[in-house]
Amino acid sequence: MKVLKIVPQKCTGCLRCELACSYMQTGSFQPAKSVIRVSPYEGHTSYAPYTCTQCAEGWCMTACPVGAITITPAGAKDVVDDRCVGCKLCTIACPYGTIFYDPDTHKAFKCNLCGGAPACAEACPTAAIVYEEAETCDWLADFAVERSTRLLAVGGP
Amino acid sequence: MPARHLIIGAGTAGLNAIRTIREEDGGASEITLVAAERPYSRMVLPYYLDRSIAESHVFTATAATLANWKVKTHIGKKAASLNAQGNTLTLDDGATIEYDDCLVATGSRAIRPSIPGADLPGVHSFWTLEQAREVIAGIAPGSHVVMVGAGFIAFTILNSILSLGAKLTIVEIAPRILPRMVDERGALLVDAWLRKHGVRILTGVALTRIEAARGKRRLRFRKGETLLADLVIMATGIKPNLDWLEGSGIRMNHGILVDDHLRSSAPNVYAGGDVAEGKDGVTGAPVVHAIEPTAMEHGRVVGANMAGRDVAYRGSLNMNIVEVCRLDVASFGAWDDPNAEAFTGLRPERSAYRKLCWSGDRLTGAIIIGQAADVWTTNDVGMLKGLVHAGVRLGAWKEHLRRHPFDVKPAFIASRTTEALLPQTILGRPSRTPELPATVIR
Repeated sequence: MKVLKIVPQKCTGCLRCELACSYMQTGSFQPAKSVIRVSPYEGHTSYAPYTCTQCAEGWCMTACPVGAITITPAGAKDVVDDRCVGCKLCTIACPYGTIFYDPDTHKAFKCNLCGGAPACAEACPTAAIVYEEAETCDWLADFAVERSTRLLAVGGP
Repeated sequence: MPARHLIIGAGTAGLNAIRTIREEDGGASEITLVAAERPYSRMVLPYYLDRSIAESHVFTATAATLANWKVKTHIGKKAASLNAQGNTLTLDDGATIEYDDCLVATGSRAIRPSIPGADLPGVHSFWTLEQAREVIAGIAPGSHVVMVGAGFIAFTILNSILSLGAKLTIVEIAPRILPRMVDERGALLVDAWLRKHGVRILTGVALTRIEAARGKRRLRFRKGETLLADLVIMATGIKPNLDWLEGSGIRMNHGILVDDHLRSSAPNVYAGGDVAEGKDGVTGAPVVHAIEPTAMEHGRVVGANMAGRDVAYRGSLNMNIVEVCRLDVASFGAWDDPNAEAFTGLRPERSAYRKLCWSGDRLTGAIIIGQAADVWTTNDVGMLKGLVHAGVRLGAWKEHLRRHPFDVKPAFIASRTTEALLPQTILGRPSRTPELPATVIR
């Protein structure tokens, strides 16, 4: 299936992905409501976006007591708003920290691959986020290890 | 002859077992379900209580779903005795059912202290759908509700009671709230937060009797003032439904002792959910985790094994999350291990607290408290679960987390936690979309 492939070396930290994501998901430009999150590394000299990998287990989906998380035709695990009661079980079941909760709507939300045309990938000017046929994997670990050596050596962010 | 599976209990474990059997065998086997109540989710009853969902929303399967799954049902019947040698179950109406294998998933019931007046009208438990209906009928705006007990169950309905416009007093016999979910510092933080939001909390008070008082309930304590309540909710604990298995020869301790395939001492009798005492994924010790995620995983593993797969369960992770007045309170794993090395971090101005418990450079437990509006709280809840679940070695990141217990994300990512987690599935295959009945979805 097509997945969001992250190439962290190409990320400039422009946050366009967060803006595009929040606009697509909520209709407003509000990075706080984005389900792709850019984190700084090496004292804000490099950046990497992080989002749901649509993992095989689907911990959020199996944990939901009312079946409110389903698999879309694009292969994304998606929250069905009408079914979600806001119990937050999915937020502790997901071991990746990629389930979000909106305290205003009392619903969980997450990356649903925008129905097969992810806004983040479209908005990324440097192809740090690309949507393509691939086996999902840990896109960030090598980058994060390399970019945190100095942080660990000096002991502070 | 196709296998005859018997599922006793239609809660989370039972329903997940049925769904998984059908995912595996497509309908080839016989499934019989015995359940005292219609299948519904207790987890969502708080949202029925505050009327944010209709009653129809709580049901996890209808008669039509069960028929579609080709399940023979005995709903409204209780299991009375199990003959594990003869492979038969006797129901409370005297009927017997033969099986090739069975799952005992009879769940828990709410218990009350044996004090005078504990069963008076207006004194409720909040555990079953029927009990939820009674509480709904009894609360009106301005009602004074007294909640006896300050544990997880009590806290799951706290928001609902407040949103109905009731005044709430919580009374707890222990010296602090949430004694089995967070540590003392965490409890103090939550306590202060609730008081700020208008909840009255009395800790260290022993309830001695409840009396009827002109349409209200008067609660008397060993010491101090009495309380007058419109409605009393006894959130004083739950107990697994195991009494009916006495004399069955099934080995039990706090729950039914099960192996890594969730088999009891009778190999064709499985147990799951609140009645099962199985492996803790962190400590490896046998334990009853009476929580929804354990019941779900138990049910799925049992279903796969009943369908002929050979699925070993890695063990369950103790975890709870509850939101009270927009404060998230969550804990994982061995957060209360008194011998574990622990780092804590407190940000009183944000009502945020972290506790990280260690074995060497592996995280074995965590407590996380923070405002629900903080995106980081929710993300960190998941990542801390992932770190405890995967048990990755954090190496030099341990020292980083000692200094910066709120900076979880870089430690999670650089420790290759995602890589460790991605191949992991409960059933050794990708999960499928839960099939829900059309009548329920609508």
